[in-house]
Amino acid sequence: MPTTRGGIAAILLACLAVGGAAPALAQADDPLGVGRKMLAEDNPGELWIERGKSLFYQKRGPRNASLEQCDFGMGPGKLEGATARLPRYFPDTDKVQDLESRLLTCMVQLQGFNRDDVVKRAISRPASDGSDVEALALYITSRSNGMKMNVSLSHQKEYDMYKAGEYLFYRRSGQTDFACVQCHGEANKRIRLQDLIHMTDQKGVQEVVSTWPAYRGAHFVVRTMQWRLYDCFWQMRLPELKYASDTSIALITYLHYQGNGAVISVPGFKR
Amino acid sequence: MGKACLKWTMLSSLALIFAGCATYPDPATTRQMTEKMVSEDFTAPTPALLKRLVQDRSQTICSRIGDAKLTQEEAAEVVKLARASIQYPASGKLVGDWKIGDNLAHDGAGDRIQGGRLEKRKENGGLCQNCHALAPGEINVGNVGPSLTGYGLLRGNSEAIAKLTYERIYNAWAYSPCSNMPRLGATRHLTPEQITHMVAYLLDPQSPINKR
Repeated sequence: MPTTRGGIAAILLACLAVGGAAPALAQADDPLGVGRKMLAEDNPGELWIERGKSLFYQKRGPRNASLEQCDFGMGPGKLEGATARLPRYFPDTDKVQDLESRLLTCMVQLQGFNRDDVVKRAISRPASDGSDVEALALYITSRSNGMKMNVSLSHQKEYDMYKAGEYLFYRRSGQTDFACVQCHGEANKRIRLQDLIHMTDQKGVQEVVSTWPAYRGAHFVVRTMQWRLYDCFWQMRLPELKYASDTSIALITYLHYQGNGAVISVPGFKR
Repeated sequence: MGKACLKWTMLSSLALIFAGCATYPDPATTRQMTEKMVSEDFTAPTPALLKRLVQDRSQTICSRIGDAKLTQEEAAEVVKLARASIQYPASGKLVGDWKIGDNLAHDGAGDRIQGGRLEKRKENGGLCQNCHALAPGEINVGNVGPSLTGYGLLRGNSEAIAKLTYERIYNAWAYSPCSNMPRLGATRHLTPEQITHMVAYLLDPQSPINKR
């Protein structure tokens, strides 16, 4: 029997070693922080937080329920630090979910909303009052403000989604032959005058994962990560990315894991 | 006893590997799984437009993950496919009208899909301004690609240069396999005639791009 125990112990150690191999990521220096802080102090996106909060606790939908029983991974209604660990695997849906797909699950299952209706309205029109999902996503993420992004891979489906996201980041297609990396693979690049974030760099990807949802000045509304991805595919001349699809969640899993260690600070402020 | 014990060890080891030791899927599994996602996760007004997501052979070769390098054989295949793709305008004239080319170079619209609709225009924009510096002093230009300022001044406007320029716009991968530059003619984003106007914009001594 000692052999058996020894064998199991060895395997456990091997597992721990693999699990522990994820590098401890240090917080990045941030020379632009002062300017961003000044912008953030006047960030109109702040107004969406209160709205998201009241939407969260209001009894709504055909089932007249609040979202207080929604489990974002830390237990029902526990929002502190929940977004910092998303996407993650949820046993009840047997899926890896990001914030927005999890929110959608709760709006459908707890509140009885029709999934297609919520999805149709999730991304609001520019200069509109914004959508419920946008306000809720911002409120929930704001409850992780000041905390470090800390996505972990342990379930097989989390590993799968991470690798799928990586594959997608480099997957070229369409009439522009673009993957994400064509625009986001080098430092100090611009499309016309718009800075492109260097996402194969740790600091760059940390800036991305810690600042969405964000107030988008050109649209006068709060935008979410799902919107950010949708808009990239649009500009790449590809078909429309389905809201909360696995493709979107895979990319978010990849980016968020790479951005571990970033201090969450929402709403971000984008041009 | 010994046999049973060994069997038990192996079984429990396997169970641990599957239950407790989840790990990254191999590249073939990743590819299969992700391609399935891509085939299910997008919408378009027509099935033909969904085909934009399907990779051609060159795109598959050029989708290298991380710092993975292109092998010599892969590079040669991409170049060969690129050379075979190049079509020339019916007129045979490779240098068109630089003024039309100037407009095209500064036009980034066309063929995007939003709200279930295709952005229909007579012709797509050339997208150059997004990534390349153009005429001297132009501020609103990108830098993902190399500067094109003074393109003709540096190279002259011989027939050989016109042909090279036309081919590089039609299918950049004929010269730089897997570069970031879209294969604008080969993917049908631009027509051969449009490309002749862009050649003129790059080469004509009167073009703003060649003014000092």
